[in-house]
Amino acid sequence: MTKENVQGASEEEPQGQSKKGLKKQQKEAEKAAKKAEKQAKLADQQEADEDDFAKDRYGVCPMVQSQQKLDRALVRVQDLTPEKAEQQIWVRARIHTSRAKGKQCFLVLRHQQFTVQALIAVGDHASKQMVKFAANLTKESIIDVEAVVKKVDQKIESCSQQDVELHVERIFVISQSEPRLPLQLEDAVRPEGDGDEEGRATVNQDTRLDNRVIDLRTTTSQAIFRLQSGVCQLFRDTLINKGFVEIQTPKIISAASEGGANVFTVSYFKTSAYLAQSPQLYKQMCICADFDKVFCVGPVFRAEDSNTHRHLTEFVGLDIEMAFNYHYHEVVDYITDTMVQIFKGLHDRFQTEIQTVNKQYPSEPFKFLEPTLRLEYKEGLAMLKAAGVEMGDEDDLSTPNEKLLGRLVKEKYDTDFYVLDKYPLAVRPFYTMPDPNNPKYSNSYDMFMRGEEILSGAQRVHDAQLLTERAMHHGIDLEKIKAYIDSFRYGAPPHAGGGIGLERVTMLYLGLHNIRQTSMFPRDPKRLTP
Amino acid sequence: MALRELSSLEKCLGLKKPNKYGTQGERKVPVLQNNNGAPLVGLVTIASHLVHEAKKTVLLGNSAEERAVVQQWLEYRIARVDNCPKDELKVILKELNHYLEDKVYIAGNVFTLADILMYYGIHRIVVELAIQEKERYLNVTRWFDHIQHYPGVRHHLPPVVVLRNRVYPSGHH
Repeated sequence: MTKENVQGASEEEPQGQSKKGLKKQQKEAEKAAKKAEKQAKLADQQEADEDDFAKDRYGVCPMVQSQQKLDRALVRVQDLTPEKAEQQIWVRARIHTSRAKGKQCFLVLRHQQFTVQALIAVGDHASKQMVKFAANLTKESIIDVEAVVKKVDQKIESCSQQDVELHVERIFVISQSEPRLPLQLEDAVRPEGDGDEEGRATVNQDTRLDNRVIDLRTTTSQAIFRLQSGVCQLFRDTLINKGFVEIQTPKIISAASEGGANVFTVSYFKTSAYLAQSPQLYKQMCICADFDKVFCVGPVFRAEDSNTHRHLTEFVGLDIEMAFNYHYHEVVDYITDTMVQIFKGLHDRFQTEIQTVNKQYPSEPFKFLEPTLRLEYKEGLAMLKAAGVEMGDEDDLSTPNEKLLGRLVKEKYDTDFYVLDKYPLAVRPFYTMPDPNNPKYSNSYDMFMRGEEILSGAQRVHDAQLLTERAMHHGIDLEKIKAYIDSFRYGAPPHAGGGIGLERVTMLYLGLHNIRQTSMFPRDPKRLTP
Repeated sequence: MALRELSSLEKCLGLKKPNKYGTQGERKVPVLQNNNGAPLVGLVTIASHLVHEAKKTVLLGNSAEERAVVQQWLEYRIARVDNCPKDELKVILKELNHYLEDKVYIAGNVFTLADILMYYGIHRIVVELAIQEKERYLNVTRWFDHIQHYPGVRHHLPPVVVLRNRVYPSGHH
């Protein structure tokens, strides 16, 4: 309004105005003309909207509050195959990408790691307005579409369903996404290094984790966590078949099980308690209670302030404990066989997922031997010494040496999975059984995948007196572990076991480089959210 | 350091009577006081003199071209390898690795003084390398292992373990 007023005023001015004034006047006139045109267009459109024949075929659905039970079958995107050609179906999916071109709009619809192309074209089933509506939908919105499945002549390379496309007849928004996404899914699945060459964006880890919900939608994340679920299931299935019992243990405990330094303290009414570093003491007590073979899947807490690629403060522990007859190698064999069953199961059942992850993070296929390779700690040290590493006989393996030994073993035996047996007693927890032949060593073992530790285990001391001695040697307050020691006084079978980190197994099986990639909502010293 | 190197070189050349050396300046440049004539100053100068004294001038190269190459690498040793700042070690290893790709010895197919002095000079660097790095500079390691086992060369220096087979997948960084 004000602009028009100004214009009016200038018109009234007498002649002889400056060039500048003239120009200004012209500009104002142009502006006014444009405005009028726009208004006319808008009016046109309103008119057109009124006689939009397809206006019942699209729109935003009212919020689903379970008002009605629709008798409508929704077909999953992964089931859209040429067998369904010419069928009229309903699909619920996200809008992965959309591209409008004149009277047509192409959408890529995504459900989990599967995508399909959908086409809305002006014609019998869709009006101009409907195409426009579809083109304006924001990425990641969830929609319901009714469409006819059509075979395509040329494969659609960019989608997982390459042989068909959907000809959309109705389209309704179930949940609308905000127009701006904190990260683009295409950027998040780009292989490392590719972005640099083409000058394209990659998403760094912290951005991913800050927006984990969106990052988890990427094909890579979908594949990782499906495979991880597979690890858990294979672990359970294998052990149940071997006659194990699944147990649940408390995570709030009164005393640290392995060294006091790295436990979280929680206030517990008038006293304090700890978060369990492992279900160690409880699974052993179950052995004393005649459960023979037990396992436990649950959270484990470590208060280590280490910000490395492979440490989390909370992770999922897969723990095994088992009574044996005469030699703890009986247990080692059980555990390694379980691991081998897991590797085989993953290889047989999760090839699609492995390939998907490999596209973004290439790695060599995981190799293992049957039976599993078992080396003694001394042999391991000898291999390291032969490679020029200087370390003492009773030193613990440092991370670089651990990795190097993994490479040496891979080179010599061609396996990514092996057991290192007979660790020095000094570097193991108090409940570890000393080696009868050499008191400096112990009946303990670690298992490694791609040169990194995934399992730590040992034969445990099942004699109350020796256990007391060992606890005192480690300076542990006997009062606090009284219940634990007492459980061995009334007849305790010899037993051994070990604990595996689920995230590490997934990470190392897939050859990934950071454990945060295989933890859905990772916890580390610097991250408590999301 | 340079003095121990010269005494090792003497033994390596088969000189029976050890010379006496002094040093001069802040950088401890070695000085050899000859019985007759002016004192000789500098590692390469003294080393070349010892080679003459031992009547093993083949170690300085057979042809004019070879002699030039030997001089070139002796200079490289003094100018680049010695007193090299830590962050430039990688550059030296990379250059040398590239150069040695198609050579047994520094001057090509014959063992020369350049091999001996380069070995002495680079030893402190190679000793510090992790296995993965030794594998990355594969040609340097191969040449180094060959020289440290060359009869009479090693003397005061500890042997460095070198793996004969690749442990890390190729192309992996």
